[in-house]
Amino acid sequence: MASISERNGARQGEWTLALRYSALGMLLIAPAILVFCAVIVYPLVSTIHLSLFSIFTPTLQGHWVGLENYADLLSSSTFWNALRNNLIWTAGTLFVQVVAGVALALLLNNNNVVFRPLAQSLVLFPYFVSTVVAVLVWRWLFNDLYGILNHFMLQLGLIDMPINWLGQMPNAMISVILVGAWKYFPFVVIAVLARLQTIPPQLYEAATMDGAGPWGRFFDVTLPQLRGVLTVVILLRTVWDFKEFDLIYLLTGGGPINATQTLPLLVYQQAFGLNRMGMAAAYAVVMMAVMLVFMSLYLYRFRRGEEAA
Amino acid sequence: MLARRVIGTVLLNILTWAVVLAIIFPLIWMMLTSIKPQTELFHIPPSFWPHEITFEHYRVLLEETPFLQYFRNSSILAVSTTAIVVTVGTLGAHSLVRFSYPGREKLALLVLFTYLLPSVVLIIPLYLLMVRAGIANTILSLVIAYTTFALPYALWLLRSFMQGIPPDLEAAALVDGASRLGAFVDVILPQALPGIISTALFTFILAWNEYLYALVLVSSDAARPLTTGVMNMLITSFNIEWSLLMAASVMMSLPLIVIFAFLQRYLTRGFAVGGVKG
Repeated sequence: MASISERNGARQGEWTLALRYSALGMLLIAPAILVFCAVIVYPLVSTIHLSLFSIFTPTLQGHWVGLENYADLLSSSTFWNALRNNLIWTAGTLFVQVVAGVALALLLNNNNVVFRPLAQSLVLFPYFVSTVVAVLVWRWLFNDLYGILNHFMLQLGLIDMPINWLGQMPNAMISVILVGAWKYFPFVVIAVLARLQTIPPQLYEAATMDGAGPWGRFFDVTLPQLRGVLTVVILLRTVWDFKEFDLIYLLTGGGPINATQTLPLLVYQQAFGLNRMGMAAAYAVVMMAVMLVFMSLYLYRFRRGEEAA
Repeated sequence: MLARRVIGTVLLNILTWAVVLAIIFPLIWMMLTSIKPQTELFHIPPSFWPHEITFEHYRVLLEETPFLQYFRNSSILAVSTTAIVVTVGTLGAHSLVRFSYPGREKLALLVLFTYLLPSVVLIIPLYLLMVRAGIANTILSLVIAYTTFALPYALWLLRSFMQGIPPDLEAAALVDGASRLGAFVDVILPQALPGIISTALFTFILAWNEYLYALVLVSSDAARPLTTGVMNMLITSFNIEWSLLMAASVMMSLPLIVIFAFLQRYLTRGFAVGGVKG
């Protein structure tokens, strides 16, 4: 009898210990949850709520309009134009980032490159530099009178006349895509490089013995090995490129004549340029809905990876 | 055979370094422009190396513009954001990794979700919030706003780092009679320190570089950080002084250059861990 009650006591002790532990765990996460609710969950819900109102930004006075904002925006050409630009920008810059990123990672993965660590850190620099700095430097490079880029290209005989890089289409979109690729492709380089270094050399030896050339080795060994990391990188970069504001806003401001205006720029313009805060919230919600597609793909993939681990 | 290999290596090096130099060329050009006299910028054809080196633009920048004020604001802003986010994040990440309670997995997923969330979706309610609370136009309002992207990011990175610490270490400390909090301080924190440094650096850089919230929430020079401040110098000046702007760009990148020179391994480690473990 005594031993049973003793054992019960021990089990009860374990139980209270487990309870105390999970209480402590919740206590430790509590500050994070509090901040989350205050600055993320509440604003998120509030955006949806605000999108049902018509609000004048300077006075913050408004009235209920229901789904009218949504009906307006879906029937306006501004929205569809911005969505189209957003998709062109995302697909364009992502494509250049991935191709250039993989190519440079392959080059840098070679042991024969001298000062390899230095090369790697230099490549990383554009990724960490402030977008403001990147844009200022590129606007100076793009300058139509004194920009070094036009000068180089004139001298090499690539062009006869200085190019207006940011002021006309399709140049403006191409410029934005290229500057975006320049700024963000180091992310691809580093992620791919880390994976390349873990590919067992035996795989290449076996492929060589089977008579595969450099291209054969790339398509039969390297690319399949990179599939996992490329999927994650592409999903992450899709989400991040889609929501990019600073770079496009500072380079072209959405111009010329809205030709590079994307959804984030539209939200900002509606809220703080045209003073239509409710409408801006509706745009934000729709943009969020479009992004949810990519975000859920990433979350799904992440959960699968977590279960496998 | 040997000759072919040597030529191959030389070509590989030339190609690789040509690409690397092309990539950082804009940044080299930024530095060169910042030390050229204004007259030299408008030479046709432009000269690559400056004929004459001058630090006049830096003097003008520091003495005749509000640059130093912006620099001070940015420093306060980035340091306080980092301090808050890393503290809250370290406690939270430890809880997410080492404790079990209902809803923990969903919470981790929520963190990841918010990590992908665009700022423009939150910015309108945050703006209203700051105006109503009467703290619009202050550095504090920016610190609060910056936690919206910095905290999910830090939590995520720290969680990934802490998952790499073997659980046996904490278990051993508990067997030796340490409390959970004692084990956290004595065992987990030292182990997690490289990860915490990485996270702090990433958070600092994110906060230092942020533009959109600063644009919306702050409109006075007293609280304006470097990003919007320097852009403002571009917009308000009558004729654009590129050498001055390039000097401002170099000065603005100083913290980054310091981090790159001395703490780069922490950045690379953060990359390997954060979200891209394929």
